[in-house]
Amino acid sequence: MMELVLKLRQRMLMPVIFIILFAMSFFAAGELIPGYIDILRSPSVLISDYLLIGGLSATLFNVSTIMLINIIMLNRLKMKMTGPVFAGLLTIAGFSFFGKNLFNTIPIYIGIYIYARMQRLEFKSFMIVVLFSTGISPIVSFMIFGIEWPLYVGIPAGLLVGIITGFILPAISAHTVRFHKGYNLYNIGFAMGVISMFYSAILRAFNVDFWLGGPTTEAYHSELQILTLLMSGVFILSAFIMDRRVLKSYPALLKSSGRLVSDFIRDFGRPSTMLNVGIMGIISLIVLQILSIEINGPVMGGVLTVMGFGAFGKHPRNAIPVMTGALLGAALTPAYNIDMVSMAIAVLFVTALSPVAGRYGIVAGVVAGFLHIIITPLAFTFQGGFDLYNNGFAAGFVAAALIPFLEALKKDKPEEER
Amino acid sequence: MSNQEIRIVTKIVNELTHFFLLHGHKKIKIETYHEDEATLFVITVEKMSTTLAATIKKKVDRERWLEIETYGWELIGDIDSKSELEIVGHLIDEVHIKHDGAKSVVTLVRKNRYRKKK
Repeated sequence: MMELVLKLRQRMLMPVIFIILFAMSFFAAGELIPGYIDILRSPSVLISDYLLIGGLSATLFNVSTIMLINIIMLNRLKMKMTGPVFAGLLTIAGFSFFGKNLFNTIPIYIGIYIYARMQRLEFKSFMIVVLFSTGISPIVSFMIFGIEWPLYVGIPAGLLVGIITGFILPAISAHTVRFHKGYNLYNIGFAMGVISMFYSAILRAFNVDFWLGGPTTEAYHSELQILTLLMSGVFILSAFIMDRRVLKSYPALLKSSGRLVSDFIRDFGRPSTMLNVGIMGIISLIVLQILSIEINGPVMGGVLTVMGFGAFGKHPRNAIPVMTGALLGAALTPAYNIDMVSMAIAVLFVTALSPVAGRYGIVAGVVAGFLHIIITPLAFTFQGGFDLYNNGFAAGFVAAALIPFLEALKKDKPEEER
Repeated sequence: MSNQEIRIVTKIVNELTHFFLLHGHKKIKIETYHEDEATLFVITVEKMSTTLAATIKKKVDRERWLEIETYGWELIGDIDSKSELEIVGHLIDEVHIKHDGAKSVVTLVRKNRYRKKK
């Protein structure tokens, strides 16, 4: 029994979450297979709510299988459960509600593997990029199912584009981090937005219609709310099981700016990190409750991503100011309101900019959040919807514009921090 | 040495120079030695305070982090924040600080993970 507890500690309880999701996927077993086939055949561009396309059981099956494959890969590569790895896994789970499936993610992994071999570097050294890379997986599905090509043309074309995308992503994402100086936690989303922009430009030049995103469903709000509450509770409980005095060590984590590349598990330990992950889940639920936002696929993706980044840069002190700024943006601008799906999810994904508040304070965080909410729709038009991390693309521009100015204001202050 | 390795070594030198200048050191000698086994960074400065030595030790003496080699290393030397020296810490394996009369010598060791087999 003790051995089992130790193993669960080492694996950060991910298998437990996997089992919960997997079990829930069989609630409506009769709908599972046809629903899952519909998900695999979906073009998957933003916003494709798999809950609407395939139903709850098929969507949770999709989430479970993708997580399982990634956990197996991490175990085979003997990867440690670091903050970025944890964030990557929960982000994968989140986006498997609206855009990622086994079919469209694998070619991108293959592309990164080929790049690693060509660079003569270990594949596992690219693991941060690998885990976040599949945000651009809709390009694979779109080439196969979105253009009316016969499958014998579409499948090779989709696989090839996926592999090429994976091949170029590591170099671009390593470079884009300098654009926003590490203040956009979804840096790979920004890199993929740049790539997506070129894909959409090429398709537009050939008069290919790729605005295929559709409606969402809130029919499973209660189930997903319970699932989130359950997961948050498990994380908080596990923190107290690991360390009963976790509340004493947790404030140190709250002092971190969260700027890339910060690993809360290395820096503050697992108990504090798990507590933070659970708290971020609860905060997400409270925000949704206050704003009367019902959970659909994309919103669930946002909640899980916020929780995941609770190990990789986000905590209440740096997240709440940017969320407040985003809410103000939605409330004070006549063009946008919180009832729009894109606005609702932006209120969660705006936390990509949490390090701005973490380093430069509450006011800077609120301003960043406000700017983010009005930039996000433009970013979507720009990148065309193949980058699922559209908020990461938008946040990159916001951080790049704000940081030099904020740094200039700080420039003459004493350097005692260094 | 690969181009990637040269870029990383250059960035580390840049960051170390930046760090000591910010802490008021006016005479800084940085030497790099590229061996098959490892790259050494030897930084000689006028005797540093025990507080600064402790800060360096705290920030740099941390576990090597493989993924930083491909993601995050470009952030070194870019901005005046306290976390950057920590990224250097994730790129090196050992740190030694010695005080020798009026001078202090900091030695960083970055072991070569991709050494060609003979």
